[in-house]
Amino acid sequence: MTGSLDFLLLLSVVGVPLAALLAPSVVGRWLLVLLYVVQLVELALLGSGDGARSAVSFSLLGHSVGWQLDALGWFFAMITVAAAGFSAAYAAGEWGTLNARAGLSLRWLYVGLQVNVFAMLVLLAAGDMVALFIGWELTSWAGLLLMLLAGGEAIAAARRYIVYAIAGGMMVLGGLLMTLAAAGSLQFDAVAAAIPTVGTSALWAITLLFVLGFSVKMATMPFHLWQAPAYAFSPAPASAFLGAISARMGLFAIALVAIKLIGIVQLDRLYLYFDALNLRNLLAWVAVFTAILPTFVAMKQNDARLLLGWHGVGQGGYMLLGLVMADSLGSAGGLLHVFNHATYQAILLMAVFAVIHRTGTADLNRLGGLVARMPLSFLAMLIGIIGLAGLPPMNGFVSKWMIYRALILEGQPLLFVATVISTLGTVLSVYKLLHNTFLGQLRLEHETVKEAPWSMTIPMLVLCVVVFVTGVAPGLVLEYVAAAQQALGLAPVAFILGGIDSPAGTLDMIWVTAILLAGFGIGAVLFYLMGGRSRRVHQLDNYAGGHFLTADVRYQYSDNFYAGLMHRIRPWYRGSFAWAEEALVSTFGAIATAARGFFEQANPAHWVLVGTTLITTWVMWHALV
Amino acid sequence: MHWSELAIELTLMPLVAFVVGLAMVLMMRKIAARLQRRVGPPLLQPLYDIVKLYGKRTQTSHGMLHEIGIVMAVGGYVAAETLLPVPGMNGIAEKGGMITLLYLTMIPSLGLALGVGQCANPNGSIGISRALTAMLAYDIPLVIVIAGVAIHFGTTNLVDVIAQQQAGGIATWGAVQMPLLAIAGLFALQGMLGKQPFEIYVAPAEIATGPMVEMGGKFLGGLFVMQCFQLYTASVLYVTLFLGGGENWIAFLAKAFAVLVIPMSIAFLFPRYRTEDMITMLWKWPVVLGLIGLAFVGS
Repeated sequence: MTGSLDFLLLLSVVGVPLAALLAPSVVGRWLLVLLYVVQLVELALLGSGDGARSAVSFSLLGHSVGWQLDALGWFFAMITVAAAGFSAAYAAGEWGTLNARAGLSLRWLYVGLQVNVFAMLVLLAAGDMVALFIGWELTSWAGLLLMLLAGGEAIAAARRYIVYAIAGGMMVLGGLLMTLAAAGSLQFDAVAAAIPTVGTSALWAITLLFVLGFSVKMATMPFHLWQAPAYAFSPAPASAFLGAISARMGLFAIALVAIKLIGIVQLDRLYLYFDALNLRNLLAWVAVFTAILPTFVAMKQNDARLLLGWHGVGQGGYMLLGLVMADSLGSAGGLLHVFNHATYQAILLMAVFAVIHRTGTADLNRLGGLVARMPLSFLAMLIGIIGLAGLPPMNGFVSKWMIYRALILEGQPLLFVATVISTLGTVLSVYKLLHNTFLGQLRLEHETVKEAPWSMTIPMLVLCVVVFVTGVAPGLVLEYVAAAQQALGLAPVAFILGGIDSPAGTLDMIWVTAILLAGFGIGAVLFYLMGGRSRRVHQLDNYAGGHFLTADVRYQYSDNFYAGLMHRIRPWYRGSFAWAEEALVSTFGAIATAARGFFEQANPAHWVLVGTTLITTWVMWHALV
Repeated sequence: MHWSELAIELTLMPLVAFVVGLAMVLMMRKIAARLQRRVGPPLLQPLYDIVKLYGKRTQTSHGMLHEIGIVMAVGGYVAAETLLPVPGMNGIAEKGGMITLLYLTMIPSLGLALGVGQCANPNGSIGISRALTAMLAYDIPLVIVIAGVAIHFGTTNLVDVIAQQQAGGIATWGAVQMPLLAIAGLFALQGMLGKQPFEIYVAPAEIATGPMVEMGGKFLGGLFVMQCFQLYTASVLYVTLFLGGGENWIAFLAKAFAVLVIPMSIAFLFPRYRTEDMITMLWKWPVVLGLIGLAFVGS
């Protein structure tokens, strides 16, 4: 039995009215989760092999537009549909019921989710550049649906997002037109064939327009300001879905256009100063700064959702870095990180929203000590942060290891050191997240807090299993990553079930994990079976400095958690990008005010003056030149 | 390799690490004592201390995570030792390599951080925040060193790194080939060991020993064991990267102990830096030295 792309797209279109119909009731919401399962099965049946073609095609201004899902698109599509399914399940039970009572429109939430899935499938299955553009715009606007739902802060963030998205869309359109002018066609094959004959300056323009346009969605620097607030303040399932996969559409599009169509060989024609500073190096450094700076911005956040949002921006840097390395190991690491990031980021956001569900806040200065009250959410967050920080044995380690190794082998030690700085920053930041939420002092008002309901914990825990299993056996995912690499025209990575087998250094996670678990076993034997019996005291039974503390005294160490570090690096947070954005906004404001002033003052005499001046200038220009 | 041989290696490697680590703790105390004109503890004192701590009657636990933290702190190192080749035994070093080892040694620290977090003592939390900051500070020179060594030898496999140095003799040792990186590595080593002047996260008089504040009995005993492993791991890693590993056990142990004499002697002669000064210090000299060394490696 094989699947068909048309049936999949049809399923996801039909899902939209179904979502509107079914979302208000609990049973309906579970049926919608089932719909995602069906979509996922259909996608799995399609297989990651070479492209299932859609029968839908039409002609637009003489360009035929069609859809075909290759291995790269399939890889992203699986993640997308699965992320939507988990998010939908998370909201299906108590979360949905309580939030609907509080005024959230579940219809819009589920419709938004399904519209996003559909839009992303349209993008991922694009068979030519017109289809790609259609998908791109659909995806951009669909994202807005989810961001607008929560109201309040979310509205401002969504407004900012859409300005960025439109700017990105314009750049993509510009690139599209340049491509048409240069290649005479918008079919992938024709474009790829024509690129080697395109002049260097035209290729610069095409590449930059596409890469910058798509980067807006990735929120790589300098377009990084919009993403964290826009994703963070959406309702829980929307936030988990957006955080997990939405921004990666930018990576998909960059991979498709820059690596598959333009190609590494052609990209290397583009350099600023001989080969020392070529476009790929430039992009690699942009990616590295995207990995570092947002991570250190995340470290300063006091809202758990924003903290994770900023990490989402930062992790995108790793993916782009791996991709532009373009060797088999690095690009595989970058693509694998898309999957890994989707899994742990969804867990982390779900855990944070579970805490919000029970305590009403994500303020890291108003929580603490919840580990004994919400142990499953704690476990989920713990596994999530080990993944995000990239420590063994979770999956985040494997993809980062591949990128590190690629950087070392390609002789890029500075990039390697820079990525490790980002990872270390992540470790600090995620410990703060975990500590301030679940560890330290329990607040009195949280003494009666209960674990989140099963409908919320099960999606988290299932994802935890995924994070662990794909960390121990990354080969399970690398198989599809290698197929995606081939679809991009890159050398596929040589993988084994446990990781990477290479003469310059192997990684076998099955062994590493087995040893680690055995080590923990020995540690447990040493601790629990030897020595005196330990006596557990109540969580609120604490003392400090020789005084017993009553629980109503607040002594949780949470604010400005890394005080010593901040003392040193605070001057480096200059907010230059926010300043630049502000400056741009005020410049446009000034121009708009001037134009409006002129318009309001306008009378025919002014226009005569303007007209005469312009004509005179034109005549003089031509007379002189 | 036959599985039984491998099983023996995997058992022996952590055991050796522990015993050698105990001796290293003893050496550290002896050095401190001599510098302070004391006699110092007897041969088996480190072992007595562990037995005493495990046997204490009062063992206060602040919850399951407090206990699991200690399990992770010890267990993580037990696992890490099998990735670090010693003479005649490679364990699973070829399945991991130096990057994996670097990250695996963060697991015990994470475990400790979790355990301390559950204790809900602000001094403990401050200690962890400082310890993580210290990690950020010393790991930057450390990864520069690791990158340099990996590029120089063309591999991240520690077994190959040792084999290349032993095949070529002293002239091919990392320390001879990359002296600047070797010096930068010493700074990082000092930070890794958490010895003065980089022990602000313990700071007994100020935050009551920070991470250790709620640790008594076998909780502290576990941390003592962790310290043995930590000393061993740091010094053997340095020997592996820069001093040609161990040709035989005598050379291996001599090198491993000799490497530790340097940070230990420095430690007891200096007061501690404040956190921000520690960062400035570690981000300045070792990083500059390391980057210059890296430039030589690259050329």
